[in-house]
Amino acid sequence: MTPKQRKLAYELITNPPPGSDLAAAKEYGIDLTLLVENLDLTVAERLRKLYSVATFLEKMRKTTGIGK
Amino acid sequence: MTPNSEEFLTLLNQAEVEYVVIGGVALVAHGSARATFDLDVCYKHSKENIEKLCRALQPFHPRLRGAPLDLPFRFDSKTVTAGLNFALATDLGDFNLLGEVAGLGSYDAVYKSSQHKKVENISCRVLSLDGLYRAKSAAGRNKDIEALKEIKGLKELKERLQEE
Repeated sequence: MTPKQRKLAYELITNPPPGSDLAAAKEYGIDLTLLVENLDLTVAERLRKLYSVATFLEKMRKTTGIGK
Repeated sequence: MTPNSEEFLTLLNQAEVEYVVIGGVALVAHGSARATFDLDVCYKHSKENIEKLCRALQPFHPRLRGAPLDLPFRFDSKTVTAGLNFALATDLGDFNLLGEVAGLGSYDAVYKSSQHKKVENISCRVLSLDGLYRAKSAAGRNKDIEALKEIKGLKELKERLQEE
């Protein structure tokens, strides 16, 4: 993402055009800041971030599982 | 167990399996901020492709996820040919193998709705945002409502940024 695109992205998620899909997503509670951060990553970086988060969540889940 | 998508896709590529990445991992590849614990793949349900798929996965001891451990199950060409969709646990993690996708159809239709993605040195086909929208709409689950809102927002954001 170029600096100009990043600036536009933050303008769009801060004040989404009324009636737009972005506005609907924001109103629904979607964290649009996370989308912008992800769009700034490569596909490989996005998948690694997912793997890292999911692996951690799974470890957390195991510590609170049955018999723990 | 959360699969390492890159490891799994490398394995499928080395075995020359015809597949398209769908589901939550495909969403993340497009920029979604959702967490998912399994990898969904649509595969071509042809004799040759099923044989390649089975040869690639057999060393990782696929078993039916959620089924009793003593339930007889052999992940081989005969089983996959007779079935279509499989929720599997393997040594590499949890995978869902789908022969067709609701809202889209069989592999050929899914492939047409997919796009090429390069994950560093891994080339793969990933279901497009439009395809994901159609699949999640057809699935009609409560958990997909949020995903549908996110897909539409993400699509608009990408389109507006591309115009820049």
